Amino acid sequence: MQDLLYFIQQLINGLTIGSTYALIAIGYTMVYGIIGMINFAHGEIYMIGAYTSLIAITGLAALGIAWLPLVLIVALICAMIVSSSMGWAVERVAYRPVRGKHRLIPLISAIGMSIFLQNYVHLAQGSRNIGFPDLIEGGFRFGAADSFQTSISYIQITIFITTLVCMTILSLFISRSRIGRACRAVSQDLGMANLLGIDTNRIISATFVIGAALAAVAGLLLGMYYGSIDPLFGFIAGLKAFTAAVLGGIGSIPGAMLGGLILGVAESMTSGYLSGEYKDVVSFGLLILILLFKPTGLLGKPEVEKI
Amino acid sequence: MSTPVKKLVTAIGTSIAVMGAGHAAAEIKIGIAGPMTGPVAQYGDMQFAGARMAIEQINAEGGVMGEKLVAVEYDDVCDPKQAVSVANSMVNEGVRFVVGHLCSSSTQPASDIYEDEGILMITPASTSPAITERGYELVFRTIGLDSMQGPVAANYLISQEPDRVAVVHDKQQYGEGIATAVRDTLEEGGVEVAMFEGITAGAKDFSSLVTKLRQADVDYVYYGGYHPELGLILRQAQQADLDATFMGPEGVGNKDINTIAGDAAEGLLVTLPPSFDEKAENQALVQAFEEKGEDPSGPFVLTSYTAVQLIADGIEAAESTDPFDVAEALREGTFQTPIGTVEYDSKGDMESFEFVVYEWHSDGSKTPVN
Amino acid sequence: MAAHNLKHALFCAIVTLVISYPILGFNLESQGTSVILEGAKTSTVIGVLLAAVIVFLFQLFRDNVMGSLRQLPAVNPLANRKPMEQSRRLKLESALLTLMVIGALIWPFIASRGAVDLATLVLIYIMLALGLNVVVGLAGLLDLGYVAFYAVGAYTFALLSQYYGVSFWFALPIGALLAALFGLVLGFPVLRLRGDYLAIVTLGFGEIIRILLNNMTSLTGGPNGIGGIPDPTLFGMEFGRRVKEEGNTSFHETFGIAYSSEHKVIFLYLIALVLAVITAIAIRRLMRMPVGRAWEALREDEIAAKSLGLSRTAVKLSAFTIGAFFAGFAGTVFASKQGFISPESFVFLESAIILAIVVLGGMGSQMGVILAAIAVTILPELAREFSEYRMLIFGAAMVLMMVWRPQGLMPMRRIHIELKPQE
Repeated sequence: MQDLLYFIQQLINGLTIGSTYALIAIGYTMVYGIIGMINFAHGEIYMIGAYTSLIAITGLAALGIAWLPLVLIVALICAMIVSSSMGWAVERVAYRPVRGKHRLIPLISAIGMSIFLQNYVHLAQGSRNIGFPDLIEGGFRFGAADSFQTSISYIQITIFITTLVCMTILSLFISRSRIGRACRAVSQDLGMANLLGIDTNRIISATFVIGAALAAVAGLLLGMYYGSIDPLFGFIAGLKAFTAAVLGGIGSIPGAMLGGLILGVAESMTSGYLSGEYKDVVSFGLLILILLFKPTGLLGKPEVEKI
Repeated sequence: MSTPVKKLVTAIGTSIAVMGAGHAAAEIKIGIAGPMTGPVAQYGDMQFAGARMAIEQINAEGGVMGEKLVAVEYDDVCDPKQAVSVANSMVNEGVRFVVGHLCSSSTQPASDIYEDEGILMITPASTSPAITERGYELVFRTIGLDSMQGPVAANYLISQEPDRVAVVHDKQQYGEGIATAVRDTLEEGGVEVAMFEGITAGAKDFSSLVTKLRQADVDYVYYGGYHPELGLILRQAQQADLDATFMGPEGVGNKDINTIAGDAAEGLLVTLPPSFDEKAENQALVQAFEEKGEDPSGPFVLTSYTAVQLIADGIEAAESTDPFDVAEALREGTFQTPIGTVEYDSKGDMESFEFVVYEWHSDGSKTPVN
Repeated sequence: MAAHNLKHALFCAIVTLVISYPILGFNLESQGTSVILEGAKTSTVIGVLLAAVIVFLFQLFRDNVMGSLRQLPAVNPLANRKPMEQSRRLKLESALLTLMVIGALIWPFIASRGAVDLATLVLIYIMLALGLNVVVGLAGLLDLGYVAFYAVGAYTFALLSQYYGVSFWFALPIGALLAALFGLVLGFPVLRLRGDYLAIVTLGFGEIIRILLNNMTSLTGGPNGIGGIPDPTLFGMEFGRRVKEEGNTSFHETFGIAYSSEHKVIFLYLIALVLAVITAIAIRRLMRMPVGRAWEALREDEIAAKSLGLSRTAVKLSAFTIGAFFAGFAGTVFASKQGFISPESFVFLESAIILAIVVLGGMGSQMGVILAAIAVTILPELAREFSEYRMLIFGAAMVLMMVWRPQGLMPMRRIHIELKPQE
């Protein structure tokens, strides 16, 4: 019984982390699906989202506003606005001029952007870890009081629900809305979409903005869940989220969700049953293994080589 | 090797020897090497503040053997690669006494060069035992060792008679070193170490670790590492209702841990060197720092001050500026310094360096235990 | 048009404000045990506002500005010159290379010790960049975990010397071969992957190697690293003040000259120089051999290359293996230069820097890569006052370079036959 509770607890931990990976992975997967490039700076956009929400929360606290829903909504909106603008600007400055060039060129531009943004925040806000206030406390507990209890906190529940809601809205948006349809058209054939009167530049910008907004949501949620932020943490999380996107099949939104969850659970089980030291080895090993057998990821479409 | 090449090499050798002699001016260069930039620059600031103050005060009193001390400062960013080039630059500049470096992983490769070049080095901050274990003549420190601090913590834990203790570390030189010393002492003392595990420095999610600690049902958790990770572990442990007391080394005893952990930092145990800036005999010095607008309470300010002072005292005791003579004088003498009485053993470590167990509070203050 | 411009300019200015003001204008400071918000210095705020105004004006008059810029007489008088004739270019290039090697040979005898040491580091980066150039520049395989092979070379030497007392000269080929073997092993799973999948897998591989080195404490010393790595010897002569190993003699005693620590630094530099030259020549030769042509063919068009009967497996594997081999070389020299290595020298950023060197220099171009390696290693040393901004500038430079001059400082030029117009 106790072992089962322990297992469930580790599963909950893994799913929580996994769903945030999925939220960040969306940004990678959408951009890749549309213009076929890895937006390396996406992790930094997530980090900037977390910083902005912390600045907003601290600012509101200084003004004496403490009503939780208001604080959360204001922080979320601020973070989304700043992150989305950042996503838009990054695309405009670093990616649009190099679009269509040899595929290494946008990638290196992206790595450069990632280093730049990391150091931008580092210089502006210092390299220290800054504590994030604990806004959503408490949770449920299961199991006998005197032995191991499985607990699920409110913040974990919030993360699950938010991720699900975001995913659903995004899926509906992509499949139903006008912009969503245009997105799909652009990802299938950019040139053709252009000919059919779709403003492809606008659609690509929209993709960056949506991805960045979701990253900002993840930034606020994870800031609260973990408890501290620093300028480097976006890079590490971005790497994981990108791994999740590739694992699930880059370009596919359900794939990002699946990849994120698998990665999260794999990490948490490794820490739980082996040792935390090896969790990164396991997640990258898993990635290599899956790509060996399914070179385009779990839900990715097999690439057809066109001549 | 052919004769012309040999001649060339000889010629260069001589020319360098002549250049070297040219450096002997009427001043003594004190190299200060540490991180001015980078992630641990805040600790480097302490080092530079302490050493500069000592040089200033010694010069104000007429210098050492009538010669002024001159600071030669270099930034190593706590990067082993840059530390080596800093060490080479020190050699270039004709520096013969160095206060530094800060991070053990920088001190170690740099000290190879200093020892080879006959430069005396005193590190005010590197605590890795490996640095002084290589039989070097010219390497000293003004700080305790991981292998001293670990047992102090472990012995305190043993005195509390716990059932089970978990030892966690951040897989870095400093953290793992102390954690290993704690584990070994605990096991010698007959305490069960239920868990000995590393985490990834820079990680944010410790929910799996906390779950594991709950499962292991431990009374105490010793964490070897720095405050950012421990702060998060404390916070996530409190959320998950982990009922255990945490303990850590001086790397966690920093007010920043309170901004991360909040209430969860209450009751954390920390081993720290005694607060030198609170000693009565150091008050004049503390005032001098405050007049310059600097904070003397950082852990490495007064150890750096002491390092410079020891070099000066050593030169006077040896009546020579030859680093080998000074090293001998340091090993033989007993010196009164702001961090207490300093005596060196043959390895270059202090005979004793005191650590005290403090209890940390959620408002960032601390009280000594027992 | 004007109204549209105004709208766009306003939008851009607002975005500039939004992305800079919250981050730059408010500082999160810890006061006691809580975090508070502080307004930034007035100068920062003015700077942010100024930036927004500049963006606004630039976007508003974008067409005029760009137009007048274009009408300016060419700033670079060489921009429109005719490409140099191939035979002349080759002569010039080889003369330049010879000059560089001669300069490099004289360098240690005129420069100070620190400068020689820095030059050794430059040479290590040159070796790394030339090796990565084979993989990325020639074969077009994006490798983001190149540092793993560098680590394999360094650790091979460190471990062999620690456990078996193997000297530098024996460890050098072993380290390089072992790194090549790792390249081969990594090459296999990677064969089926294309483009960006390859990038992430190599990145993962690099991280795995580093984490394993960090975790296998009993073998590699984990985070403590390995110290006491011996310096290279010259026919059994050591360069230290005292002879460390029995049976060896010391350099200065053999030649009856005064001991000088510079001998060691210079000797190491010369070894690195010789190895770098060997690397450059070997790769230059390979480029002109069928295998080199095959790499480029694969980079340009995989399907076409396949249909011409090239084995994709063999070509990719050879690129990976040869690239890794030279990283192993560089790793061994690095370990010997440092005398102490730990996993923190082999992080992802290092891979990114080597990649940046290759790209800045011009993918595939040896000359360009060498110049870029010198620039990237030395500039931070010269600009120590700006060290805080070093990485910021580095990142920005990578982006700007890709936007304005994606072909690199000295783009690669293939040797080709020129058709002469008929008289």
